[in-house]
Amino acid sequence: MVDLALSEEFSAVSSREAALKRFGRSDMRFRLMTLGAALLVVAIFAGLMVSLLRGAWLALHTFGWSFLTTTVWNPVTGKFGAFAAIYGTLISSALAMLLAVPLGVGIAIFLTELCPRALKRPVGIAIELLAGVPSIIYGIWGLFVFAPYFQQHVEPWIIDAFAGIPYLQDLFAGPPYGIGTFTAALILAIMILPFISAVTRDVFETVPPMQKEAAYGVGCTTWEVMWRIVLPFSRAGVVGGSMLALGRALGETMAVTFVIGNAHRINPSLLAPGTTISATIANEFTEALGDTYVSSLVALGLILFGITFIVLAAAQLMLKSLDRRSGGKAP
Amino acid sequence: MNDMTRVEQGIRIDVRNLEFFYGKTQALKGITVPLYDRKVTAFIGPSGCGKSTLLRVLNRIYELYPNQTAKGEVIFDGENILNGKVDLNLLRARVGMVFQKPTPFPMTIYDNIAFGIKLYERMPKSELDGRVEDALMRAALWSEVKDKLSDSGLSLSGGQQQRLCIARTVATKPEVILLDEPCSALDPISTAKIEELIDELSNDYTIVIVTHNMQQASRASDYTAFMFLGELIEFGATEQIFTAPTNKRTEDYITGRFG
Repeated sequence: MVDLALSEEFSAVSSREAALKRFGRSDMRFRLMTLGAALLVVAIFAGLMVSLLRGAWLALHTFGWSFLTTTVWNPVTGKFGAFAAIYGTLISSALAMLLAVPLGVGIAIFLTELCPRALKRPVGIAIELLAGVPSIIYGIWGLFVFAPYFQQHVEPWIIDAFAGIPYLQDLFAGPPYGIGTFTAALILAIMILPFISAVTRDVFETVPPMQKEAAYGVGCTTWEVMWRIVLPFSRAGVVGGSMLALGRALGETMAVTFVIGNAHRINPSLLAPGTTISATIANEFTEALGDTYVSSLVALGLILFGITFIVLAAAQLMLKSLDRRSGGKAP
Repeated sequence: MNDMTRVEQGIRIDVRNLEFFYGKTQALKGITVPLYDRKVTAFIGPSGCGKSTLLRVLNRIYELYPNQTAKGEVIFDGENILNGKVDLNLLRARVGMVFQKPTPFPMTIYDNIAFGIKLYERMPKSELDGRVEDALMRAALWSEVKDKLSDSGLSLSGGQQQRLCIARTVATKPEVILLDEPCSALDPISTAKIEELIDELSNDYTIVIVTHNMQQASRASDYTAFMFLGELIEFGATEQIFTAPTNKRTEDYITGRFG
């Protein structure tokens, strides 16, 4: 009897040991797999950087820093400068953000706090559907429907309205082309608007109801609750969502290419045709002849990459300083 | 009963025949209870008996959610606050609330207090500083935070956060303070501090407290109401409720035989 009990105990211990060994092996496999996936990202990033740098080398070597500061883009003489494209990219995205962020946050506030329940779902679903519309559709719609309408009905009115006002009259000077930087910015704004409202609404809903009750409980109005409690509480998400939207606006190619006019110059008027980095690359890559030309286009890509990186870093810094100002991090 | 007799009897809020519904479910059944001026009234009873619901009617915070309706009368200063014409922001400024879990606002300690004051009053900075200090003193928090007023309210410990929330409520000079299980997330030391505070505050304010803690109710309140399944079973002076309850169910509950 005693022997039997002992040997049973022994076998229980040894089978436990075997099981532990098995767990150890499968843990290790899992660790290696996830580590591999993580390293893959780093490898892809490095590969991308190397090929961008190699591709852009000729252009950067030929033109040096002046590549960033000159507006000349002449395939015939082989002189290339990125400034017009950089300018167009930054201006169109900034304008789009200026229009889309307040509107998008406003939509999110309406949806979370003010919207009648019956409307909440339909509007929410419409926003999500809009966020999923492919950019080529916005491009076609922008070129064939929006731009002509804009040219005939809106632009003449804008030009008239601002005529005579210093600075503004230069920003909105004619003739009305229909396509141009401002049109591109509007289309971009329409594209990123559902994105911003969807993300912002989701973050707003993560604010604990107790926080809002407490604020209403000291007698706040809806505006004060949103502005002083909900927005500070969810600012990381709102800024993050807006930055993702900005990233999308900076890199957006198809829709912008359709409506911006693709002109390599800097015109003080927002209504005039311009270009962006991605529009230039998309338009010209197939017909680019000569090493310098191709290399200049790759260099444009490298610059866009740099701009996006700077934007993301700026967003992080901004969040940090916001945290410092309010004296700590929201949970 | 007219307003004069209410004032004579020292009733600050008079709840009469209050019914409350979550959708179709009835949570309060014909509650009639007086809340006396500058006294502490405790509501006790097992979970789900409607204590917190009653509290949420008194400043109409329940209206933030759809499908919640209240019927009956809650007379505050001669006016039925369930009446649609009442200004909700003003009502909530006059009837302050402290929640079960601390809910500091995402701003500095100073701003947490100043925020509520600035909503309704304009004053020079020096006076505002005084009000903030006064509120923090009353909440027994001043000595702990006076050197870090510009830190985030969220950086405090749980007990400190709760006292911050009480200070915030006191700072706006409400007339009635509602406390919904204010100590349930706190350690005994913080709890003791808050009970002292409640005692102190009852010199100036009408206080209504919901609690699961029998000792707390008996220690901190002047009047106690026992509720069960949406009904008010017994209401009376705290001493009477805890020493000589007239209802069998009250006795069973306070002696721990059920609930």
